[in-house]
Amino acid sequence: MSALGWAAAAEWSRIWTVRSSWLLAGATMLVVLGIGTLVGLDASGSPSDVPADASAWDGGRPTAMFALFGVLALAVVTSTADHGHGGMVPTLQWTPRRTVLLAARVGVIVLTTAGLGLLLVTGACLLVWAIVPEVGLGVDGAAEVVGGTGYLLAVGAALAVGLGLVLRSTAGGLVSVIALVLVLPMLLAQLPYDWSLDLATVMPGSGALYLVFGEGPSDDMTTTSARLTLASWAVGAVVAGGWRLLRSDAG
Amino acid sequence: MISVRGLTKQYGGVRAVDDLTFDVEPGKVTGFLGPNGAGKSTTMRMVLGLDRPTAGTAEVAGRRYADLAAPLREVGALLDAGAVHPGRSGRAHLRIAARSNGITVRRVDEVLAQVGLDRVARRRTKGYSLGMRQRLGIAGALLGDPPVLVFDEPVNGLDLDGVRWIRGLLRGFADEGRTVLVSSHLMSEMQLVADRVLVIGRGRLLADAGIEDVLRGLGHRVRVRSPRAEQLHGVLADRAAVERVTAEELEVTGLAAAEVGDLAHAAGVPVHRLAEAEQSLEQAYLALTEGSVEHAGHAPERPAAAEVGR
Repeated sequence: MSALGWAAAAEWSRIWTVRSSWLLAGATMLVVLGIGTLVGLDASGSPSDVPADASAWDGGRPTAMFALFGVLALAVVTSTADHGHGGMVPTLQWTPRRTVLLAARVGVIVLTTAGLGLLLVTGACLLVWAIVPEVGLGVDGAAEVVGGTGYLLAVGAALAVGLGLVLRSTAGGLVSVIALVLVLPMLLAQLPYDWSLDLATVMPGSGALYLVFGEGPSDDMTTTSARLTLASWAVGAVVAGGWRLLRSDAG
Repeated sequence: MISVRGLTKQYGGVRAVDDLTFDVEPGKVTGFLGPNGAGKSTTMRMVLGLDRPTAGTAEVAGRRYADLAAPLREVGALLDAGAVHPGRSGRAHLRIAARSNGITVRRVDEVLAQVGLDRVARRRTKGYSLGMRQRLGIAGALLGDPPVLVFDEPVNGLDLDGVRWIRGLLRGFADEGRTVLVSSHLMSEMQLVADRVLVIGRGRLLADAGIEDVLRGLGHRVRVRSPRAEQLHGVLADRAAVERVTAEELEVTGLAAAEVGDLAHAAGVPVHRLAEAEQSLEQAYLALTEGSVEHAGHAPERPAAAEVGR
């Protein structure tokens, strides 16, 4: 196995050998599957309100937003855990090639957290279908929901890891990611200025909202623009975090 | 072998390490000494690729540490025993280290047994004492069975048994031909275990020599007792520095015991006791680092009697 493979294996162990990761993953599972269950129960209680062409994938799609928050929290916590206890010193002693550490850390955390989130959203959709079997479970819907949600969760996780690497603080990372994804897009969209609306449109939270619900602060938003907005933020955060890891002394 | 050439680290206007050049040779325990803030830890961090030097190079076995693909097989290091996630077990901590360097899990259990932590290995490290954390850090350093070992204050927090254990461990590594660099504030401990010392102050190298050479650098100190100490003082004072210890005892600096005996004999002065005073590394260290101490304390001034009475 190569140095990258060893570093990736170590990152995987780092995530799952602390209780906080299991607690966050468990909490995300409860919320996402719980909301999937509620959506299913709601639909089964009033079947006449369910559109004829609706599928379980549509029913479970809103849970992606809750999965995103779980993914963001897990990605921030796992990417900053080393910095809270001076753990970067042994980490860099064990993997001194910083580009290798960066690739392993970003890759493993993004794949793990986004994979977990996607699994839970898929589970929520299947729960809706199990409760309301009348709605379909078409392949087309699956590709759209799984592909779209997978993209959203992956770029969200990358954004969170990048912020974690820049800020090197769990609290700072969590506050920043909540501000970017939840608080600022809502706040800016409510202000009575054109510039604030323009700014709200390019916030990562607006892109996420559009990809999940098809609505955003501006009518000009499209799926492509939402995806590009999220990708730009994620790439920017990872580049900035990587720069800090590569250039700074071990904290 | 560790080679440091012109190593310099500047933090803003402060030069923490200033043009350090030295080699740490295999088969010896090399003590790394200096007052607080002298630059010992910064130097070790640069050797291990944790901090970037402003200038100069540090190499282990001819390569930069940061270029090593499996560094734990080349260098074992303990810098900060507290740098462990409190929610992770000691065994999990070492398993991550092992996985990051392609080392088998069986080796984790071996080193845990070697440092005496096998029975508490599955406990979370937040329940570990400082001594247990030191042992865990040492276990991490031993994981890859490396030829080079770097320890920063390894006896911190260890009880007497632990101190004796680490002393034997360091000695054993050096006797096996490994390169051992160890920093400590405990001079008596260093004197027992080190073959060679590097002394730095304000980031600069003050001494790089064998223990015997350092102690010899202090010169001879001799205690001599005579019923005619006053007369002997006069005889010796022309040749060396003489200090009166008691009414009958003198301390002579700069002459060997034999020379003092010969001079006393030539002068017809009876001598009741004559002995070389033992030189300590602590005295040598204090002499070397005088003026290089970053933070010096002062004895509290005694209040005047009138103030006390108030």
